[in-house]
Amino acid sequence: MNPPGPLGVLEEKEEEHLSTPILGPSIHSDNPQERIQARRLRIAARLEARRREALGEYLDGKKESEEDQRKSYKQKEESRLKLAKLLLCGTELVTNIQVATDIREIHRRVEEEEIKRQRLEKLENEVKTSQDKFDEITAKWEVGKQKRIPQDLWDMLNTQQVHCAGLIEDKNKLISELQQELKIKDDQYVKDLKKQSDDICLLLERMEEQVKHVMKTFRQELNYIEKAFEIERQELLTSNKKKWERALQAHNAKELEYLMNRIKKAEDYEKQLNRQRMWDWEEYNMIKIKLEQDVQVLEQQLQQMKATYQLNQEKLEYNFQVLKKRDEESTVIKSQQKRKINRLHDTLNNLRSKYAKQIKQFQEENQSLTSDYKRLVMQFKELQKAMRHFALIDDKQFREIWLMNEEEAKDLISRAFDVDRIIHTHHLGLPWTAPDFWFLRNVGPISQQPQKSATQIVEEVLMQAEEEGTEEAASEAESYLDLPRQISPKTTRKILMLLCDESGFLVESKLLSLLLPLEKNECYLLRLDAIFSALGIESEDDLYKLVNFFLKYRVYHSPSSQEQTSLLSALEPGEQPDLEGQKEESLVEGEPEEKEAPPSPRLIHPNDVLKILEAFVMGLKKPRDSRAPVKLKYVRDNSKDSAYWEALTTVIPDTTQNLWDALYTALEKYHLILTQRAKLLIENNSLEQQNTELQMLLQKYLDSKVGDREAPRRVGRRLGEAVGLLLGNESLPSLEARER
Amino acid sequence: MQETLATSTLLAPSRSSISTQERFSTAGQTSSTGPQPSRLSIIPPPSKSKGWNSGTKVRRMRRIIAEDPEWSLAIVPLLTELCIQHIVKNFQNNPILKQLLPEHQQKVLSHLSPELPLAVTANLIDDESYWRRCCLQRWPVCHVARHGGSWKRLFFERHLENLIKHFIPGTTDPAVLLDLLPLCRSYVRRLCVHQLLPPVQPPAPPRSGELSDSGSEGETEEPATDHYQLRDLVAGLSHLEELDLVYGVKDCGMNFEGNLFLFTYRDCHSLAATIKACHTLKIFRLTRSKVDDDKARILIRSLLDHPALEELDLSHNLIADRGARAAAKLLSHSRLRVLNLANNQVRAPGAQSLAHALAHNTNLISLNLRLNCIEDEGGQALAHALQTNKCLTTLHLGGNELSEPTATLLSQVLSVNTTLTSINLSCNHIGLDGGKQLLEGMLDNKTLLEFDLRLSDVAQESEYLIGQALCANREAARQRTLNPGHFMSPIVAKGPENPAR
Repeated sequence: MNPPGPLGVLEEKEEEHLSTPILGPSIHSDNPQERIQARRLRIAARLEARRREALGEYLDGKKESEEDQRKSYKQKEESRLKLAKLLLCGTELVTNIQVATDIREIHRRVEEEEIKRQRLEKLENEVKTSQDKFDEITAKWEVGKQKRIPQDLWDMLNTQQVHCAGLIEDKNKLISELQQELKIKDDQYVKDLKKQSDDICLLLERMEEQVKHVMKTFRQELNYIEKAFEIERQELLTSNKKKWERALQAHNAKELEYLMNRIKKAEDYEKQLNRQRMWDWEEYNMIKIKLEQDVQVLEQQLQQMKATYQLNQEKLEYNFQVLKKRDEESTVIKSQQKRKINRLHDTLNNLRSKYAKQIKQFQEENQSLTSDYKRLVMQFKELQKAMRHFALIDDKQFREIWLMNEEEAKDLISRAFDVDRIIHTHHLGLPWTAPDFWFLRNVGPISQQPQKSATQIVEEVLMQAEEEGTEEAASEAESYLDLPRQISPKTTRKILMLLCDESGFLVESKLLSLLLPLEKNECYLLRLDAIFSALGIESEDDLYKLVNFFLKYRVYHSPSSQEQTSLLSALEPGEQPDLEGQKEESLVEGEPEEKEAPPSPRLIHPNDVLKILEAFVMGLKKPRDSRAPVKLKYVRDNSKDSAYWEALTTVIPDTTQNLWDALYTALEKYHLILTQRAKLLIENNSLEQQNTELQMLLQKYLDSKVGDREAPRRVGRRLGEAVGLLLGNESLPSLEARER
Repeated sequence: MQETLATSTLLAPSRSSISTQERFSTAGQTSSTGPQPSRLSIIPPPSKSKGWNSGTKVRRMRRIIAEDPEWSLAIVPLLTELCIQHIVKNFQNNPILKQLLPEHQQKVLSHLSPELPLAVTANLIDDESYWRRCCLQRWPVCHVARHGGSWKRLFFERHLENLIKHFIPGTTDPAVLLDLLPLCRSYVRRLCVHQLLPPVQPPAPPRSGELSDSGSEGETEEPATDHYQLRDLVAGLSHLEELDLVYGVKDCGMNFEGNLFLFTYRDCHSLAATIKACHTLKIFRLTRSKVDDDKARILIRSLLDHPALEELDLSHNLIADRGARAAAKLLSHSRLRVLNLANNQVRAPGAQSLAHALAHNTNLISLNLRLNCIEDEGGQALAHALQTNKCLTTLHLGGNELSEPTATLLSQVLSVNTTLTSINLSCNHIGLDGGKQLLEGMLDNKTLLEFDLRLSDVAQESEYLIGQALCANREAARQRTLNPGHFMSPIVAKGPENPAR
């Protein structure tokens, strides 16, 4: 298969190629010849590549490897093509039988169709002819029916029979023909079967042959390919061996070169080493001498040091002894100290326990004291409460007692005055004028200012204002409710009116409906009452504070938003003394302010009223709470009391008393005389009575002489008694008489 | 040697009495040093009891003892071996396999007899070598490659096929097949039954003779020739992918009778329902079964919109144009890839309808219309369809009475189409001119690999040239398969050139 001719060429070529990678011409070489050769090779390679591409062969990037494998590749391609052809031919050969049977079948079908068609035609013809015949026969039956002569009928029947037989014969012939055909077909079927089996046998034969052939050729091709690969491998081996040898030679040469270099270098180094050694030796000697000298010096020093060392050792031993002693001492001291420390620890512990105990004790004490304190505070509070209560009660009692005493005193005074008047009028006959003193008009304890309620003041204000139209000057003179305010009543009134108008929401609607029919002033009054109750204004002070607040608000009107807070602060209790001070100040400069005051209500915008009210209510709450205890501490001033009472005692002056004394003596004398007279009068009366009685008894005695002797005795006795009595009382009438 | 030393130290007190034997033993050892160590290692060391006399020791050392006829070197088998033997012996009653270690399993499997009942082995043994033995024992020729390379599958498929082949309706118990079903349902993927027996005839002839006298033979005979109904069986096989059936009797030879080959309507309906219910079916073949137009329509109707069907083979039947029209409808209503209608009676109208369906089909790869009679009209229609079709690769039009007009059209197709790889026009009347035209078309084509023009009246010269072109195409195709990336671009580049020419 592989001709030896091209093989050798190939080998040569391959050798050339093998050399290229190692010593091949390079484009970058210095030799121009080599460069040219390299370019030529490159062009050749490109052409080769193009040629292959044109052939439809796949060209891999590695051209060299492909070229290396070219021979085996070629062999492979050849074998493949050959085998493919063989397979194709084989399959064609095998399938030829099928195709042949196919075409036979087609021919058979065509023939069959033809035969079928002929048969059908024939049958149709047959049917037609037989139908004709049959028709003829049936027609003849009609004719036969008309025949009367038996002879004719017989003849006709005979002919009919003959015709019928002919017809049947035709049919039978046809049937036999068809049967013949069927038999032929059966034979055909058998033949076909045989033919089929023959065909199958042929097919099998061919297939087997094919298989054998294919196997053989495959094996052969495989051998060829193997051979090709073998040769190639050997080639590769030889070439590689050559390459290897070349490389080895180069390597050897290089090795030798390196060896020479090495020897040379070794010699050099040896020389250098010797030189160095000499130099080093000299240096070493020098150093040695120097060092020996040093050693001697140092030995001397060592001796000295040893001596000092001995000395030091002894010193140190002594010191050591001393220190040992000291140590012992110190241990003793240490033990003592330790004992001391223990003792101190004990005491410390004791103290600590004591301290703890005391702390506990004190805590308990503290607790008990705090509880006591609490209790005391409670008690104190209760006491305060009681005190307040008692103070109130005292107040009340004091007032009552005061009133009682005053009443008593006044009674006495009035009696005294009565007596005086009686004395004056009756006894002396003088006109009597009742003395007029301030304390006589006084009722209740002195210096208790009457605390008016806000409404009362309002009422007064309103009333005042009503009157104001007529007597303006008078009100001014009255200094307005004896309270020194810097606000004119007019202003107050206007402010209140404004308040009344603006804060109608505080008044209940029911009340409003009730107020409708009332007079204007009364209406205002009731409204204000309701508003004050809603705002919590109770006392006069509150009212004035309100009014003041309004006015101040006006003063700080322009920077209203900021000043509201300052206003609030102004209302705080802490600043109350200041307020009072301000009041006084404002009192001093009351006049100019007063003048400015009147336009104020006009300047207060109705819309601001609510803001002012809100601020006021906010501010009012706080001072109210803290004021209560202050009020309680109010102490009554009892300086004037003695004077008062003193004054009461001197209602009756001394002159009148002297008069009364004189009068008393005179009257007593008079009384004595009068009593004597009275006695005498009574004596006289009793004597008269005795007289009458004695007369009566005498009468009776005279009457009873007749009847009873005894009776005169009893009368007599009585008379005696009476006389006795009379005699006993004889001095009295004389006295009476004398008195008169 | 070590062993003896150990024993000597053990028996130190009675050393003097044994000394001679020791010498003997050493002598024996020197004579047979080779096998000694192995023997020593194999024989388990005897229990060192007190009654261990010198005689046994001598025995132990000897290789063969002439006095003891029962002595042999054969070793008592291991307990595992014995157990495995026992398991193998009683496998039918007590199958133990999965619990064993893998190497023991292997041993058991290699010793199991292939005659074991399938009920025991079917779902238990997966080992291929066992089933290989079973198969080779039953059938001398086995093509494992045809059964997916699995001997187990091969065994069950052929076993089932055998049973169906010899099933005689009415006499054989259907339970025989249905009992096998649970055993083989997960292994059978392909059912290739080339013989379906009709019911037994012996009682029929006398009856049929009587009936033929009474003149009503057609009605009673029809149900009598119904074949085995595959429905239950196929419904049970959950992995069935291929069904290959022939309603006929094999090897009847001269015992031929017409009613042996009857494919009745009931068979047809039952089969249609069966294949409709089998959603895994990919390949369905029904050949040599006298399927005429009506039956083909029944079958194809049941296959419309089948989810998996890829190949339909109805060759060697009696299908004419109406059946072909039904097949054409199936083409547009399924994912059919291969359609084989060889050796039927399809004529021009059937071929035209097929061509119509083919024109816009994107699934069909192979169409076989061998030995029909579509003639030039059908051939031209198909050629027209191929000008738009971009999917078909194989077309077989052998033996179809085609002639020159079809060839001219096909030559145009050849220059345009780039998907066709194989065309068969053998046994037609192409003629010399047609051959030349085909050659012209062939010269522009770069994809066709096979073009069969045998026995079609084409000049040898053009046939040869066509063969050359095919060779070039084949070579190009080979290069393409070897390195698809490299040659992609030239083909694309050449693509637009072809229509320009």
